[in-house]
Amino acid sequence: MPVRVLENTAPSQVSGANSGRSSGQSCSLLGVGQAFSGTQNVSSVQKDEAWRVNVRIQGCDLEHGYLCGTMEALNVPMADTPVVTFWEGEIVDTKNYTFFTGKWEATPEDDIRHWSKFPSFSPLLVQVEVDGGKSLDLSNYPYIFMRWKEQYFVNVGTDCGLTIAGFYYICFSCSDGSISGFYYDPNSSPYQKLELKSTNDGRSGFSFSSYELQ
Amino acid sequence: MPTPSASSATGLSSSDPILDRLASSDGSVKFRAIREVKNHIIGNRTKKLSYIKLGAVPAVAAALADSDPNLIVQSAAALGSFACGVDAGVRAVLDAGAFPRLIGLLSAPDEKVVDAAARSLRMVYQSKLAPKYDFFQEENMQFLLSLLRSENENLTGLGAGIVIHSCKTIGEQNILCHTGVLEKLSSLLDGSLSQRDASLESLAAIIRDNPAAVSNFVELRCGRALRSVTELTKDKYPRTRLLACLCLISVKNSSTCYLQDIGIKTKLVYILLELLDDSGQVGDEASFAFSSLIAEKEDLQKLAFEANAINKFHCLLQKHPVQPKRLEGVFLALADLCSKLECCRSSFLSLQVLNLVIDALTHEDPSVRAAACICLRSVSRSIKNLSAGRFMNERVVFPLVQLLSDLSTSVQVAALGAISNIVVDFLPHKSTFIQCGGIKELVQLTKSMDSSLRLNAVWALRNMVFLADTICKEGIFTELTASSMASLICDPEPSVQEQALALVRNFVDGCLYSVEHAFAEDGIILDAVGRQLQKSSKIEIGIQGMYILSNIASGNEFHKEAVMQLLFPQDDSGSHSFFEQILQSHDSRLRTAAVWVVVNLTFPASPGAFGRIVNLRSFGIVSRIKKMVNDSCMDVKLRARLALGQIITFGDS
Repeated sequence: MPVRVLENTAPSQVSGANSGRSSGQSCSLLGVGQAFSGTQNVSSVQKDEAWRVNVRIQGCDLEHGYLCGTMEALNVPMADTPVVTFWEGEIVDTKNYTFFTGKWEATPEDDIRHWSKFPSFSPLLVQVEVDGGKSLDLSNYPYIFMRWKEQYFVNVGTDCGLTIAGFYYICFSCSDGSISGFYYDPNSSPYQKLELKSTNDGRSGFSFSSYELQ
Repeated sequence: MPTPSASSATGLSSSDPILDRLASSDGSVKFRAIREVKNHIIGNRTKKLSYIKLGAVPAVAAALADSDPNLIVQSAAALGSFACGVDAGVRAVLDAGAFPRLIGLLSAPDEKVVDAAARSLRMVYQSKLAPKYDFFQEENMQFLLSLLRSENENLTGLGAGIVIHSCKTIGEQNILCHTGVLEKLSSLLDGSLSQRDASLESLAAIIRDNPAAVSNFVELRCGRALRSVTELTKDKYPRTRLLACLCLISVKNSSTCYLQDIGIKTKLVYILLELLDDSGQVGDEASFAFSSLIAEKEDLQKLAFEANAINKFHCLLQKHPVQPKRLEGVFLALADLCSKLECCRSSFLSLQVLNLVIDALTHEDPSVRAAACICLRSVSRSIKNLSAGRFMNERVVFPLVQLLSDLSTSVQVAALGAISNIVVDFLPHKSTFIQCGGIKELVQLTKSMDSSLRLNAVWALRNMVFLADTICKEGIFTELTASSMASLICDPEPSVQEQALALVRNFVDGCLYSVEHAFAEDGIILDAVGRQLQKSSKIEIGIQGMYILSNIASGNEFHKEAVMQLLFPQDDSGSHSFFEQILQSHDSRLRTAAVWVVVNLTFPASPGAFGRIVNLRSFGIVSRIKKMVNDSCMDVKLRARLALGQIITFGDS
């Protein structure tokens, strides 16, 4: 989800730690077509604010640790319509990607600080500090850790006063399909929290669609 | 010397004196006439066709029976020329009965005659119309070996030509390996230019897709043969370099043991890219060789990308005019380049190659049209660009829809492949496809007698219905009808059944109302799904079928009860055991799908959940689910725990 471009670039704040960690293994709740909705807290020093957010998974390639989809922010104050962005995800499967981002202005310290905010990361912390989690086997871990990086605005121009320069640290729960995330951008408010739940389109249960590219 | 009165392209007539002279009883007249014909037709396709139409070939062929060696040599040379590069010429030579006579002349005492006959036969063997050589006949194999053992370059060349023409099956490859032909051919690598080329091409035919033959070849002369071929990739002649590359590609593709180091792979990529600059046949064939090198190989595609291959092909496409063969090869090579890597697709799109591909969709040559579709199919695997709506516009979709009624089935299938990807479209732009008349065409093709057309048409519809809005779904459902869908579910081809089930799965996904699609026409679709689930042992069919039931079971009470009825019919004769069997499948994806059905049937907020749990318990499903809470697959385990948690809400007995 895009965030407001900040006029002043206050340094991000270091905050407390939690834990968690996961794998890139198959989970039917994270399949293509699955939808999630919730909020992103965009509070700043000036005021408390949360935007409603919808996410849809559009592509999933576990072999390459790749996931992608769209994120729709619904009540963005400066936008007339919901703002949709396309994002691509790196699944921390320790094969294609480790917990260390190695780009997007994120240092290993930034990584560990953000991952540690997820309770499910704590059993992994010690090993991640050693090698980024490279030696961990996450294939049976019930949480999937990812980084989601927005790539472009789908329905608005880049001059909309919003930025997608940062990326999200994501923790997905395979049990119930809930998603927690923290937006990281050195130039935006720190620790904007994303909280999403699996949606079912008014059904009494779970529904699954699929496509297959040729 | 007299010339035909009207020897221009189409001016020959049956009253032309040339026929009289060819049939003359005067040897010298006949000799001059044959030589005249030969000189006229060399390199001139139009004149060849004119003389063939005139009936000159039988008259020329008759001279093979003459006693004058000079006349025989002229006749054989003229016949070879007729056969060179023109199928009608080959057919005329064969129809004139010249083939066995030419074979007979290979044992003539006069070396000039032997040479001429061998050269002529080589021309014939360059055509697909040449008779298939039966390597399994002992005398044929002896004859072939005698050709290859000969000191005569034309005879060894003919032997290699026979192998190139007729070695197609593994059985043929193996017999050629075991009878010494492979060894004999590899010894020609040290011969003249024509022997080297013939050797390279025939060796490639023997080892292609045959790991055992590759092993034989690699071990030949302690690896010297392979080293010779590798050395020939640096030859000064482009054709030799190309053939050497093809041979090495066959070695590399047939086995993971040989030529896997990055050095040789990079070298092959660069040599082939350089050969593309050849303006003739070598350049045309280089792109096909490039495809066979990189197809399905992500590492090689990456190397090719780093070698600027997309730019290279883009430049080739901008030269005008580009011959159809070249266009086809370039599009297929681009298709392979863009088949896996997003960086290749990005480069392809940023260079605007897409526009050139779209133009080629209306090319007059069907091979070019099909190749353009295949290229489009590869590029449209980019979810990033699908999501941006990059392909779903009239400029792309309209010509593709037109191709659905192409006279060539391969073009239709290729167009369906591209459409299948493009209609996934994540933006609400699917209506563009409908407005271009695409749905009617797709539905029509689901009724085709050709199973590949049916498969790909249903596949495209399945992707089209993925996340489609209600209006789009209704439009497709009305056009396709429930009874046609039921027929497709029961199609004779399992692959069509699977896609048809996936289509239904997408129809019953989305808003609650969508579930009703399964109940149209007295539930004909649901009946077909049930029958297929009981009948088929194919995992993929089970998975799609289970997700259909799961999606329906996420509906209202009526929907959930309908699923119960399907899984556990009241007039049960033990058929419900199929569901229990599915829950015990060795395939975790199928177990996962099946447990989702149980999750949805026991969804706690549903009024009838308790009754269904009672029934599930009596059918042994609850105890089965209990056993699955420690399944080896995490997805299954978590769904089983979810289902059990829901069941326990109502009490554990």
